[in-house]
Amino acid sequence: MKTDSSKILVLEDLVKYYGSGENLVRAVDHTSLEIERGKFTAIVGRSGSGKSTLLHLIGGLDRPDEGKVWIEGKDIFSLKDDRLAEFRRKKIGFIFQDFNLIPSLNVWENIVLPLGLDNRKPKKQDIKEVISRIGLTDKEETMPNALSGGQKQRTAIARALVTRPAIILADEPTGNLDSQTELEVMSLMKSCVTDFGQTLVMITHDEMIAQMADRVIEVADGKVVNC
Amino acid sequence: MKMTTRVAFDNMKYGKSKNILIGIAIFLTTMLLFIVPTVGKGFIDLQFAATNELYPSWHALYRNVDSDTARQLAAHHDISRYGLRSDAGYFNLKDARISMMYMDKEGMELYRINLAEGQYPQEEDEIVISPGILHELGQEGGIGDTITVPYQIFRGGELDLTQEKNFRICGFLKDSDTGLEQRIYTSLISEAFLKEEIPGEELSYRFLLQIKDTGDPTTDDLEIKINNIAKQFGIPENDININSDYLMANYVDPSTLPAIVIIMVIIMLAGAITVYSIYYVSMSQRIQEFGKLKAIGATRRQIRQIVLREGLCIAALAIPAGLLIGTPVSKAILKAFTVFANRDSQYMSVLTELLETGKVSICSWWIYLLAAIVTLGTVYFSLVRPMHVAAKVSEVEAMRMQDTGKNRKSCRKGYEYLSVSRLTWRNLTQNKRKCLITILSMAATGIFLMVVATVTSCANPKESAGSSIVGQYEISPVIEENNKEHPERKWTEIQQNNPMDETLKNQIEELPGVDRVDAFTNIQVTGDPFDEANDVNFINGIPEEYARELEKGITRGKVTYEELKSGDKVIIDRALLHWYPDLDIGQKLNLTIYDGDRSYNKEIEIAAIGNYGSGLTNYAYLLMAKEAADSLCENNSVCFYHVIADQDYDPALEKSLRDIVNTSGRLEMRTWKEQYDHYKSSMTITSGACYAFLGVLAVISILNLINTMINSVHVRKKELGMMQAIGMSDSQLMKMLQMEGLFYTLGTLVISIGLGSLAGYPVFLYAKKDGLFEITTYHYPLTAAIIISVVLLLIQVLLAVGLSRSVRKNSLIERIRFSE
Repeated sequence: MKTDSSKILVLEDLVKYYGSGENLVRAVDHTSLEIERGKFTAIVGRSGSGKSTLLHLIGGLDRPDEGKVWIEGKDIFSLKDDRLAEFRRKKIGFIFQDFNLIPSLNVWENIVLPLGLDNRKPKKQDIKEVISRIGLTDKEETMPNALSGGQKQRTAIARALVTRPAIILADEPTGNLDSQTELEVMSLMKSCVTDFGQTLVMITHDEMIAQMADRVIEVADGKVVNC
Repeated sequence: MKMTTRVAFDNMKYGKSKNILIGIAIFLTTMLLFIVPTVGKGFIDLQFAATNELYPSWHALYRNVDSDTARQLAAHHDISRYGLRSDAGYFNLKDARISMMYMDKEGMELYRINLAEGQYPQEEDEIVISPGILHELGQEGGIGDTITVPYQIFRGGELDLTQEKNFRICGFLKDSDTGLEQRIYTSLISEAFLKEEIPGEELSYRFLLQIKDTGDPTTDDLEIKINNIAKQFGIPENDININSDYLMANYVDPSTLPAIVIIMVIIMLAGAITVYSIYYVSMSQRIQEFGKLKAIGATRRQIRQIVLREGLCIAALAIPAGLLIGTPVSKAILKAFTVFANRDSQYMSVLTELLETGKVSICSWWIYLLAAIVTLGTVYFSLVRPMHVAAKVSEVEAMRMQDTGKNRKSCRKGYEYLSVSRLTWRNLTQNKRKCLITILSMAATGIFLMVVATVTSCANPKESAGSSIVGQYEISPVIEENNKEHPERKWTEIQQNNPMDETLKNQIEELPGVDRVDAFTNIQVTGDPFDEANDVNFINGIPEEYARELEKGITRGKVTYEELKSGDKVIIDRALLHWYPDLDIGQKLNLTIYDGDRSYNKEIEIAAIGNYGSGLTNYAYLLMAKEAADSLCENNSVCFYHVIADQDYDPALEKSLRDIVNTSGRLEMRTWKEQYDHYKSSMTITSGACYAFLGVLAVISILNLINTMINSVHVRKKELGMMQAIGMSDSQLMKMLQMEGLFYTLGTLVISIGLGSLAGYPVFLYAKKDGLFEITTYHYPLTAAIIISVVLLLIQVLLAVGLSRSVRKNSLIERIRFSE
């Protein structure tokens, strides 16, 4: 693969179809894309346009029917499942709409979980710094069930940041939040990306949020129609 | 279909995996609840049927009854049926013993005597014989032919001089195998002949009777009536002979029922715990579902009905299946019993035949009904709590239920860093109650298994045989204390003409393969503290070769073999304390010692209490040095020759010894091999039955483990998917599931093996004290512990592999979206 160090993510003719015959859904249809390092990219599109599928393929959560995804010059689908999982925990951070925190772990544990899975012991100071950054210093031992939606999403952001991944993928991270919290979370994400120099790819259907991005990619019927 | 039934039915299909497990648990519970009473009742019925085929059907007989008394007895309101028998005399033949017996028609029926051909004797010169008798007489003949018989008649209490008479054969009896082997036969003569030979005033009968059935009499009720009637007619106790085998076979013995009931209660508990815990464990994931139903208007009663009907729907499928499979399994178990048991005996071969020909019906409709009702009751009992929990669900809380929950803490100290093992531990501690229920229900069966394994590992057939007989062969005189027909078999009579003499000893010692012969003495005693006058006990004189063994067996007190030579001290076997618990060391026993035709009193002190195998004690409770026991008697009191051979089983030597015993006619023999075979067969049957029973119980409780783990993964499908999304690899997932399973397994093993081993030891002590299987030495059931551990570990590994595969069946995306 031609390596251009400024391009952290390259999608090459990516295809993902569901169903067959009349029920065939072209979720991602021959899509190619390049995303630059350190930028905040928003993927927008109507419901059912294939943006979530695209994000899942980028994150290696699902395998494409055709095409390739290169992250930092690595074809992620050439990796076997265990290697791909390892790659994910090292290079990709996820933020989901419904937070997906582990209910049996407290805030601290949820944040250090990706490090633990990578057999790394966290530096206490680093974690404290991240927690302070997300404004949950007094909530380290709080269980997810006692957090508000905004606090949950902030915990999820911290979890995504803690491994210092190459790329953070966010799937409508403010979808379940009220407008006040939505703004707080967005500005937190943006500042974190800027401060830590990380790449953020975020799905949203909110035009206002998309405006905050460095680049907006529009998806319709599984294809990139505007970028 | 009613709404509740429809929802219950749909739920049943939706929660397929959980319901399959519940179905298996109910199926196994039904099967066990059916098998236990069926096999128990079947075996008893078979035994009874075999007894009915072989044993006479009279309840009791009164000896020495004259004609008048017989007439009066016949009119007694408690007697439903009676017959008469009178032994007129014997054929006078050198080696064969052929009795001449009169029996009326009822007597014949009560004795189950059927003629092979011909008819019963009517005329004075008619006789019924058997081919064996003809052979012994050295004559030939068929029905209508005449034979000459030399015979002696009982007159005035003794056999009269030999007479000879021509009889006409009017019928034939079949010879029995034992009869032919021992050369003992019966001929039947007519009443006319009896009355002609024995004068009316000397004529005495055996009065055979059956007691009238009123209500449902037990064996005890019948015995009381038999003794009462005898008392009314002045018939002495010694002249009463109760047909206990027949009574046991035909009337209820109340002691068998509790055993079956206890086993059934254990099964019910195991089944109930399993079904309950499967529901309990699955309930949390269904809270939302019940909440939704309530939110749209279902009442508490309807929710309870849904849970109940779902359970009953499964039971409706599983119970018939359990009964269906239980039927052939019960038959197979009974067949296996008869195969393992000794088929050489006539009794067992009749029993086997009854089973094989289906003459005894094994399955009763009421057992099917009982098993079905008890299982339904068990299912209902285990559903009560889940029904209650489901009905109590609050709509709002249930709808919101994702991360919430009444008992969830809002804050908890956590780990500074995480690893797969810490994640596992976190999940387990989060579900403490679920873990505990799963582990305890599995451990309960494990404990049972370990206790049974302790008994079976201690019950070593070689050790048991060695404990029940010293050496390889035991030869003793035939002793019968209360047989008026054989007064010569009383021990005090034998003492005066004892076949256990030096000649016999030398004869045995000269046989090839014999190392030595050890003689044990037997002294008959009565008196204090043996409160009943008829309670005859024996002092066993133990030879010096066994001094160490005797001293080693002492459990309380102290005495040396040398001190036991004084004749003033005895060791008592601990088994005696069962009957006389007040006996203690230092107590003086005022005994009457019987020595042939004389007796005298002697005070003997209890020097110690010991615990010995029946081989050493020869079933006597008082033990003394042989030298001392010998000095208490002037007569020859040697009662046992224990033959120490160079091989445990030597057919040639056994044959030689058997020849000596048979030739004597007054001796009998027990062999180590017989004891070994007996213990081996009974231990195989007992332990086989126990393990099979516990094996099914184990399967029932393992269903708990399977359900808990499936559930734990199912409930956390999204959580596991989430962990995988942020980087948990498949092997890490597998490791986590393995460790969770390992926790259940190790928890179960620690409790089962730990508590099971602890509980096993007192059971061993009890078995040893009660002489069960002649257990003497404790052997830790290591093999069983290893097997239980390996099986559990294996199941857990397979389960983890299966679960991890089933998790991976769904794509990561599907798993993450699971709850949506």
